[in-house]
Amino acid sequence: MAETKEFEEKAKKVFSAERKEDIWVLILAAITVVLGLTGVITPKTFSSLFF
Amino acid sequence: MADTNSGILKYIPGFVLCMIFGWMALQWDQSIHKWQKDYQASAKVLKAHADDGKPFLGFAEYKAESEEKYQEKVAAFERGEIKEKPKKPHLLQENDYQTLAATGKIPSKFAFGERMIEFQLTYVAVLLLGGMIIRNTIGLPKIFQPGTVLARPVIKPGIILLGGYYLWSNLLKVGVFALVLVLIFILGTTILVSFLGRRMKLDDGLMGVMAAGTGICGVSAAVAVAPVVNAKPRDFFYAVGTILLFGTAALFTFPYIGKALGMSEPVFGAWVGTAILNTAQLVAAATWYGHDSLLTANIINIVRVGFIPLVVIFCIWFYVIRQATAEGRHEKVNKWQVIKEKFPLFILGFFAMVTLNEFGVFTEDHRTIFGKQFLQIFFAVGFAGVGLNIAFDDLKKAGGKAFVIGFLAATIKAVLSAIVVILIGTEAFKVK
Repeated sequence: MAETKEFEEKAKKVFSAERKEDIWVLILAAITVVLGLTGVITPKTFSSLFF
Repeated sequence: MADTNSGILKYIPGFVLCMIFGWMALQWDQSIHKWQKDYQASAKVLKAHADDGKPFLGFAEYKAESEEKYQEKVAAFERGEIKEKPKKPHLLQENDYQTLAATGKIPSKFAFGERMIEFQLTYVAVLLLGGMIIRNTIGLPKIFQPGTVLARPVIKPGIILLGGYYLWSNLLKVGVFALVLVLIFILGTTILVSFLGRRMKLDDGLMGVMAAGTGICGVSAAVAVAPVVNAKPRDFFYAVGTILLFGTAALFTFPYIGKALGMSEPVFGAWVGTAILNTAQLVAAATWYGHDSLLTANIINIVRVGFIPLVVIFCIWFYVIRQATAEGRHEKVNKWQVIKEKFPLFILGFFAMVTLNEFGVFTEDHRTIFGKQFLQIFFAVGFAGVGLNIAFDDLKKAGGKAFVIGFLAATIKAVLSAIVVILIGTEAFKVK
């Protein structure tokens, strides 16, 4: 029983981590969009990363 | 000395490893794609030479002739004689052209690039196969493990950025079919597993997790449902093992099955969107197959993950409320609270991108930056995390009756959905 309870807590924690993860993901995507729209990153940025 | 076991520091080594591995795979991808283009350009030069029987042109003439042909096509496009806007031709570099003209043979590295693309050994394959091989042969030192797990969700910003490729009309057109597929196959599997479990007198917790996991969205749904159906830890790990095992098998086999069955990219996207249970794995399989495949699979995946709260509500009703009512107790559930807690927030970012595109905020350059280039960067880091976390030991955890029911249900769903998407056809699933 105690094991199950502990596991439930862990599962809830994993899900709340997923929620936090989604927020970080949204922030990361938003930063990329802003950089793209303001011209900080251009189509040439990507090719400049490779030989 | 800083404690590397806590806080953000423990994620850094693994995350950096995924970034380096991702960069190497993208470098490989850039090279083989360039060589493939060089191969096709070389073949064109050789064909032209064989057709007119004249000696090879000088490099300057070759460049001028290509430019002239391109300008002719552009003029024809502007006159409306051809529908598709012509792309600027890929030209060989001077030394490559000179070698080709001198030997009359296509350089072997170009042929190598062509072969690699033919076998679909792009960055996706390098990261997934390479990561899996590294993890299960030389192993992944403990110091890298937290960071590689953290790298997996980096796929999601890529999914959001891909939103810049769609208009609401595209989304609604494919979304209608996506909704039908989700309702029939995904909720159908959820209900089927639940009833099969009851018939076989299996534990409610185990069946609840399997029903959500095989039906809707793999591990995310299993995690969401586990606490509400009182799943035991052993059951949960059986279920997750089965989901991961099926997803891994599907990820590596579906692109080749799709090719063997002659599936178009949109049809393949619809198939993996319905049949593969895990977002990272289905995105990887679809990207592996092609960009159009990814565009379709992404819509189906968005519709599907949007259903997670509803599946959780179904499981609460099926395993908690129904049972309580049968025992004469009265259990209440706050549906709005469940929807709020379990709704995958990142899909809002995707819808925001579609809306911005609808309002004409993005130019063609923006779409290339977001939906192709940065998408590849995010996917590369995420796929590195996925590949490096395919541990055979985890897959061995799949077991018991959960394995039989889960694998059976997932296989039936894969076969039936393949038949249905092939019958529906490419036009229905084509985004543009």
